[in-house]
Amino acid sequence: MDFNLARGVDLHIIPTKQFKMNHVLIDFATPQTPTNATARNLLANLLETSTHRYPTQTALARQLATLYGAYVNLFVNRLGTLHTVRLHASFVNNNFVHEDLFAQVGELINEILFHPLVDDGEFDGPTFRLQANNLKSAIKSLYDEKQFLANQRLMDLYYQQDSVMRIPSFGRINDLADLTASSLVETYRSMIDRDKVDIFVLGDVDPQAAQQVFARLPFADRDAALPAPFYQQPAYELVQHRTDYQQVSQAKFNLAYRLPVYYHDANYYAGLVFNGLFGGTPYSKLFTNVREKASLAYYASSRFLPFNGLVSVQTGIKASDRDQVRDLVQAQLAAIQAGDFSTATLQEVQDSLINQYRAGHDIAGNVLEQQLVTSLFGQANQDFVTQIKAVTKDDIIRVAKMTKLQAVYLLSGEK
Amino acid sequence: MDKQVYQEFNQTIYRQQLANGLKVQLLPMAGYHKTYAILTTDFGSIDNHFIPYQQDEAIKVPDGVAHFLEHKMFEKEDHDAFDLFGKLGADSNAFTSFTQTSYLFSTTSNLHANLDVLLDFVQDPYFTAQTVKKEQGIIGQEIQMYDDDPGWRLYLGILGNLYPKDPMRIDIAGTVDSISQITPEILMASYQTFYQPSNMNLFLVGQLDPEETMAWIEQNQAQKTFPPAEVPRRLFSLNDPTAHDVIPFRSLTMDIVRPKVVVGLRGTKHFDDGRQRLHYKLAIDLLLDVLFDDTSDNYLRLYNNETLDDSFSYNFEMQRGFHFAYFSSDTNQLERFADEVIAILESADQQIEAARTRFEGIKNAELGRLIGLLDSPEAIANRYAGDLFAGASLMDEIQLLKSITIDDLYQVANEFITSQGISVYQVVPQHQ
Repeated sequence: MDFNLARGVDLHIIPTKQFKMNHVLIDFATPQTPTNATARNLLANLLETSTHRYPTQTALARQLATLYGAYVNLFVNRLGTLHTVRLHASFVNNNFVHEDLFAQVGELINEILFHPLVDDGEFDGPTFRLQANNLKSAIKSLYDEKQFLANQRLMDLYYQQDSVMRIPSFGRINDLADLTASSLVETYRSMIDRDKVDIFVLGDVDPQAAQQVFARLPFADRDAALPAPFYQQPAYELVQHRTDYQQVSQAKFNLAYRLPVYYHDANYYAGLVFNGLFGGTPYSKLFTNVREKASLAYYASSRFLPFNGLVSVQTGIKASDRDQVRDLVQAQLAAIQAGDFSTATLQEVQDSLINQYRAGHDIAGNVLEQQLVTSLFGQANQDFVTQIKAVTKDDIIRVAKMTKLQAVYLLSGEK
Repeated sequence: MDKQVYQEFNQTIYRQQLANGLKVQLLPMAGYHKTYAILTTDFGSIDNHFIPYQQDEAIKVPDGVAHFLEHKMFEKEDHDAFDLFGKLGADSNAFTSFTQTSYLFSTTSNLHANLDVLLDFVQDPYFTAQTVKKEQGIIGQEIQMYDDDPGWRLYLGILGNLYPKDPMRIDIAGTVDSISQITPEILMASYQTFYQPSNMNLFLVGQLDPEETMAWIEQNQAQKTFPPAEVPRRLFSLNDPTAHDVIPFRSLTMDIVRPKVVVGLRGTKHFDDGRQRLHYKLAIDLLLDVLFDDTSDNYLRLYNNETLDDSFSYNFEMQRGFHFAYFSSDTNQLERFADEVIAILESADQQIEAARTRFEGIKNAELGRLIGLLDSPEAIANRYAGDLFAGASLMDEIQLLKSITIDDLYQVANEFITSQGISVYQVVPQHQ
């Protein structure tokens, strides 16, 4: 059930009795620019920390505790070239607590979004400094998560010099120095006044009552049009390589492939099945041949990013096996390109994707994510099952042939 | 088939123990598309010293056998169980903890056939020297993957401090060296001892019809013959049940940039009864919330003076034969973090007193969190701990939680917090 609260601000209500928790997701979307990711991430942290009525995080946390441990989190994300700030709230259904939690959580969301701890055009100084410092530490500490780090560095290698995609959705340490307690207010106003806003309410709720609660949020009209979020870049002629050395027990060896197939274009479902066959499911070529047969890795998988035109492969291996693994991964792609896979395996992969899709309906967060993508880019996934089943061997061969190796990254413990 | 109705949550659990001793529980969830099934044996990484099935002499098996066995169960002479699930459109997996090994699948179709695959592959061992050898490479990479994870090193490090001479100090997967000593014979002896139906339980949650499903399970089990049941004879005993062997401090350097620290607290209470144990666990969970959650003054003070940050977390784990809590954060003030956490623990009585007005809110928040888990078939089934909590379900936990009072917190604080049970472990950057 959809309501338009203002131009560019849409409310989507999904009544269901399946869950014991209610969920609210508010998505603020705008194209990513060279500078906005860091600012918006810091803004999300500031909004989540305190408000005018609840000026410390303890005051805000105590209010949430009285609402039966309701969660309200703000975080950033990216969909293709769009940068999004999201508020997610989850809280127990009214039936269990015999009070109107829904209205109270709606009230609190209003407070968090529209009454931040801003005075005289600036966020509270001590809160700003502490959150900026914490964000710096948090970004720094990503170095400590070696699998994440290897993937990040692969992306850095893959995306071209001037691309905003090289800036992670959570921002960069260097950009923090340019942000101030007053510049963040501009970031805030821009997000509240100009972003495309989508509000989703999922749970055992009365649509009219829910509509009334969210219609109170004082959003103004804005230009609702977002550019297409699909990221494309020309292919490199030469494969990009980089190796870093750190004290790690296991080498992380990752590869990036260009695959110009996008969400809901003619090859989209073939792309999903191709990825499932390459490394996206336990029935895939990578799992079967790199892990099970050659015993070279514990994990060897692929990921398809249908907003970015990209497939990435990640493995954890012995550094000395690097060439062997690289050849084996490439051989798996070549095998798919040559049609070297059985109908039985193809069927397993399709069934696995369909099972994941159906099971996804049982996870509230997943339902919300699906609805968000649908409302931003149109076309619901209603015929997902039919479309996946309709993918043929030739479709997969065609998509596999579009897949080109572009970047190879190794994080190694052995010089 | 026993039936227990939880009116408040509009849910019903069906229970039955089969003739061969297998305990089965079924929890239908209206409106769900998927069924989640998990088959668990009470055999984990700490069970490395036991008298094998129908023998007289105790054996010590290499570290990591339970986890190795978990990997090897899938592989059969002419097929892999993984593929059977795949052909039936299900996702399958398995995991091993200190005290349990679980095999699971999740499906939106062919429930009956998938259930047969699960029961059949776990009840049909097949190990050869060649397949054992192959798995050593894969698991070796798994162990090294965890070696590079500072969070896991912090966790294992504090366990090594709290239980320096007990098997919990070793990675659940063992070491590259210990798994090289594993043979098909060792796997088979472990299997025969711990994979008897009487040492296992099966839990299904989600879309299912209880009568029909129970009939399928009975039918499957009736077709097989099992050797006579024998209660597993474990020789597990703590090196020092009074915890005087705790190592107060160790640290590790890694190639990281943010220092990390954990304070551990080992409990020494002994429990005769599963419900008593669960009551204790829930009271400790609330106690830790009172002392450290984000509604506490302690948290705000330590956050604002940058002793801890958003990476701060605390947990309490109750396992078969041992229990402990741990508190960890990234911080540049390693000593201060440890000192502050220990000071709060040691002044628990005053802290509880000061939290009187917050107690109901904290309890409601914990209730809300547990009710939230009812939306996840996986959470409901994975949280079930069998005899450890006398068969309590998540719904039983929620009801028991409601009965806990602030007076219970004083009592568990006095029992749980002892100075000899406290320890600190750090993971620090190599260049500092």
